[in-house]
Amino acid sequence: MAHMLEERGLPTTVLALVEAQVKKTRPPRAVMVPFMLGRPLGEPNDAAFQRRVLLQALRLLERADGPVLLEHFPDDNPSWFDRPGWEPSVTLPTPGAQSHAADWERALRAELGAVLPGWERFKARFGRTTVGLAGQPPEAWPGFAASFLDGALPTVPPHDTPALALRFLADDLKALYGEAVQADGGPPSARQIDQWFWRRTVAGQLLIALRGVALTSENNALKTVGGRFFVPVPYLPG
Amino acid sequence: MARTEDIPEPTRTAAANIPCPTFDTTPFVTGPALAQRRVAIVSSAALIRRGDVPFPFGSGEYRAVPGSWRADEILMSHVSINFDRAGFQRDINVVFPIDRLRELAADGVIGSVADTHFTMMGSTDPVAMVESADGIASALLADRCDAVVLAPV
Repeated sequence: MAHMLEERGLPTTVLALVEAQVKKTRPPRAVMVPFMLGRPLGEPNDAAFQRRVLLQALRLLERADGPVLLEHFPDDNPSWFDRPGWEPSVTLPTPGAQSHAADWERALRAELGAVLPGWERFKARFGRTTVGLAGQPPEAWPGFAASFLDGALPTVPPHDTPALALRFLADDLKALYGEAVQADGGPPSARQIDQWFWRRTVAGQLLIALRGVALTSENNALKTVGGRFFVPVPYLPG
Repeated sequence: MARTEDIPEPTRTAAANIPCPTFDTTPFVTGPALAQRRVAIVSSAALIRRGDVPFPFGSGEYRAVPGSWRADEILMSHVSINFDRAGFQRDINVVFPIDRLRELAADGVIGSVADTHFTMMGSTDPVAMVESADGIASALLADRCDAVVLAPV
């Protein structure tokens, strides 16, 4: 994209997270940043850190000795590392066995009841939420998601297909839990949030179960989307 | 760089082996001093406004992100599940540094901030993005932008 915009007359500078791509594409200007994927500015809620990152990229625009101008940003972002001793402030109910869709629905509804207060605190603290892709409110999620376990293929606007409706419900579920568990105190690392969600919550286990259903579905879209876009590889069942 | 050992598979292998276009030449457009530049952001995070239809899978389309949108209206609809969302949840600027640009403009470090920014969905074949590049460039040039910060996720 940098090449294409520059060819059309626009000076560009890239915050590059993946060195291999920069070395192949050789954009006109790039700062290679040592941050995790998904955080090109590095550190959330640290304006001074973000400003340093952005300024290093912008300063490349003042140089006339390119192309290609490539620099490294020197520092890791502090929250990359696990927070020692972190424990989630959300206390989850102990779920019963989930053998039927109705069990899953009940367990998720109970768990959401425990997680929602944290989500409300997150919204109050940070003034925002990234929940909103599913097209339906959290109270509708347990029934909608569990119905797929019974072989139903519902959808809901604005999504055209059951596969996308479930995919974006999964995104909202992860976002709501992720936000709830970041509501209080210093933030856990991204890895700590993921490990908590995928290994300790009914929601994570339900998404893993839904992936299994999707993989055996005759609905090809659900099979593809569920297989690839519900559960990150590190948390797939053994 | 995102440290290779910390990128989970299969993203690690995909990132290392991703097919990238190669270019015979590298264009290089210069401009005035930074303090006179008008700066826009182009994000690969498939940002949408709450209530909009998410980016379709594999889409090479682009969409506008007006500067008037509030942070609590902006969602991320990127298809990939293999990059972090937790930072974006707490602070939109870690992906879309709109407040940082405004501060730099207020401080006189840059000239001004574009009225409208743009977003596409990364992990998409660059060939599918050629038309998007045409559209983004036309709009930014019409807005008198002369600097673009590309912030892939």
